[in-house]
Amino acid sequence: MKKVGTPEYDLSDKLKYHVSALSTAAKEMALPLNITTHYPRERKRQPACFRGYMLFDPERCISCFQCSFVCPANAIWMKDAPSGRYYPTVDYGKCIFCHFCIDSCPGGALRTTKIHDVAYKTMDEMFTSTEEMIEPPEIIREDEGVVDYVIDKEDLSLKRTKEIDELIVDVEPSQGVPMISVCVDRGSCLACKVCDKICESGAVSSVVEEATMTVKMGIDAEKCTGCGLCVKECSMQILRLVRK
Amino acid sequence: MMKMAAETKVGEAEWEVKIPEKKLKDRLFFENLKAMVIDTQMCSRCLTCVSICPSKLIVNEEDIVDFPDYDKKCLDCGACVRVCPRYDYKPKSGLGDYIEFTAGQSKRFKGQDGAMATEFIFSAIDMGLIDRGLFVDRDEQWRTSVFHVRGQEQLEKLPLGGTKYVFADVLPELKKAVMFSKVGVGVVGTPCMVSGVRKLQEEFPVFKEKVKLVVGLFCTENFHYNEVSKYLIEKGVDYSKLIKTDIMKGKFVATMTDDEVKFKVSQLSSILPSGCNVCTDFTAVESDVSVGSVGSVAGFSTTVVRTEVAKEIWDYIKKMGNAEVGEGKVEELDFLINHKKEREKNIKQ
Repeated sequence: MKKVGTPEYDLSDKLKYHVSALSTAAKEMALPLNITTHYPRERKRQPACFRGYMLFDPERCISCFQCSFVCPANAIWMKDAPSGRYYPTVDYGKCIFCHFCIDSCPGGALRTTKIHDVAYKTMDEMFTSTEEMIEPPEIIREDEGVVDYVIDKEDLSLKRTKEIDELIVDVEPSQGVPMISVCVDRGSCLACKVCDKICESGAVSSVVEEATMTVKMGIDAEKCTGCGLCVKECSMQILRLVRK
Repeated sequence: MMKMAAETKVGEAEWEVKIPEKKLKDRLFFENLKAMVIDTQMCSRCLTCVSICPSKLIVNEEDIVDFPDYDKKCLDCGACVRVCPRYDYKPKSGLGDYIEFTAGQSKRFKGQDGAMATEFIFSAIDMGLIDRGLFVDRDEQWRTSVFHVRGQEQLEKLPLGGTKYVFADVLPELKKAVMFSKVGVGVVGTPCMVSGVRKLQEEFPVFKEKVKLVVGLFCTENFHYNEVSKYLIEKGVDYSKLIKTDIMKGKFVATMTDDEVKFKVSQLSSILPSGCNVCTDFTAVESDVSVGSVGSVAGFSTTVVRTEVAKEIWDYIKKMGNAEVGEGKVEELDFLINHKKEREKNIKQ
């Protein structure tokens, strides 16, 4: 039976290990190797597609309700604006920051920012109205540098840079799968022209020809953005979104 | 005049829709409908226009079909005019074409008579021909509502059969059912509703494809809830005790748990809807199968099988033994057919 005990070092071994421990301590004193970010004095550099606080541009919104339909947390409510349009409001108490709303927005009205640290005093304040979403919230910044993690072959190190990371980013709106609206049952068309009236991009056209009592309907494949507004509004449900 | 090929293919994403001629030029289509049908007291309130209107703003108000603020809100598409059975009225009368004139009594369902309308819809569901049927239900106050039936188990709780003598909003529900249905829809209605369904099918292929079975009811006249309830309460009918209403041998009979109120049908002429006054169709000539109590012995429903689809279902009912087959007497219908044909003189062109 083998006895297990502490290893037995001779004097040369002991000396070697002590010198190694002292040199590591001296190195850490000169160049500390911590991997925590000293927030708020510095911030971690986030990618441009970071899923943070959302901003909203009413100019680009077509009131298609896509964001509120797609929201898995039911955080987006559409509220009617004085212009008769419906604009989204976000309850950050519910939002899970999946940004499906941004990905589904056909007009690119919703966009992301790198803001991830908004403070609220009450739960009610987390309900963000449309007006509050247009401009970013007031930010008090104390950071003077950004931190990047550098992964070496052996370990993780930090790279500190004396620059300020811009929180408001300008990312191209998501393209998604390009869709187009088509009429699948032309015979059942009422010629009510609702699709033409609702279309924001001018893709649907309807021309009444009094002489022959016909209505010429058409969908311009080039102009159609695939937002699906006409599909939703068609009372005969004969319009469909298909892949372009 | 209004026969039209609604579909013309022009290029890839362009199509043409034929809209009807306006009888009153430079007016909205709803104004045309109002002038030609509603204001002339021709409207039967079958609600075909309500079902098809894309703005969903045509309403069946107190005692008239109306479109509040039509001058601002009407989309002027002409759909209401295209589907209105009375806009370009071609009155139908007589018994119509049929394959088989017979009578039946359902073994599965209990109704006023033979419950054959219910039997036809459920047999069609069993055959897989349709996946939902529309039935008219009533509440304790005998107000009607329409609901969708998809299986026999739904029947146990609800009083389905039985004549209500009150109009129901069947056609607006029919459009919803057509949009939901994947296989087909079956519907039961009065002759004016049947004509409305046929008009919808003529104009819009989606209805032709989805509405597979149209059961017509024998109908001399039908009443609107507000008018008939007021009249019956005056006559001493207590709605909370009312079990059934029927018209037998020229008499309106309201049976209650402890009493019966009887009076001549002719007394109801004061509340007879103006649309019924110009209706000459007793047997629902345009239906797939017509069902009614006249022409067969008590407990049986006279069944007039008119189309191949209905014949198929009737054969299925007989094969499965779902109904007792009786005998229908054509000549018993003559009196009421002629009675309604006389109303032709009321039609002003």
